[in-house]
Amino acid sequence: MPNQNTDAEAALQKLGHRVRLGWAKKHPISDKSLESVKATVREQWEQEQTASRASKPAPSPDKDRGPKPPGPDMER
Amino acid sequence: MDDLIKLVRTYRLTAGLAERLRLAEAIFRLIEPDLRLFVFNAIQPPAAEDVLQEILKSVAASLKDFRGDTVPAFRSWFYTIARNRLNDHFRKKASDRLQPMPQDELLDLLDASEQAEPLTAADRHDLEYALKLLDGSKPECRGYLWNHYVIGFDYGEIAEEQNLNYDNVRMKIGRCLETAKSLVA
Repeated sequence: MPNQNTDAEAALQKLGHRVRLGWAKKHPISDKSLESVKATVREQWEQEQTASRASKPAPSPDKDRGPKPPGPDMER
Repeated sequence: MDDLIKLVRTYRLTAGLAERLRLAEAIFRLIEPDLRLFVFNAIQPPAAEDVLQEILKSVAASLKDFRGDTVPAFRSWFYTIARNRLNDHFRKKASDRLQPMPQDELLDLLDASEQAEPLTAADRHDLEYALKLLDGSKPECRGYLWNHYVIGFDYGEIAEEQNLNYDNVRMKIGRCLETAKSLVA
């Protein structure tokens, strides 16, 4: 039986490693979990797009206008 | 595990949806089994799946806000989210707390781990010793030893969960280990 102080810790750490490894083998990520994650990422991305569109300054009315009609001076 | 933090950093800087989905899938393939182990060892199965899904959504929604640069910092960050969600659940339904994992289930996991890494005779000897240490511990100590050595929480994380200070937890775990060793010897 191991009797060094560190042996007990090392053995428990080994157990932890093995339990996590065995658990991951027996329970790989489920489709349900993947779908939850992807739906959240999509939702968050859409919120960011909406926020980014809302924070962009509205186009200046000048930009939307076509070429300025010639003023009276130019017609002369 | 170094790959994990690279994926998290890249996710933080990624703007495109398709790339974010790809990165999120890769990240959660690595961390979901650990979160599942944590949740399914704390809560009764019918509720555990729902709580796990809530945790996954919370972690995914905050992933871009994580600012750390190391795997331990990332683990600590997502386990804090997980503990908060678990505590939210226990506030509503304390009776859902689960008893420690039974020995036969633990042995089953050790067998399953062999598919990934073969066990040597020395490994088997150490694991048998570790199981006796857990088995010989009183429930409170078993909980501390389980969370620290099996789930992998550090003293600070356990202190936060138990509302204790760091040194208090360090000493409690040290005492639990000493007692378990003396009982097994």
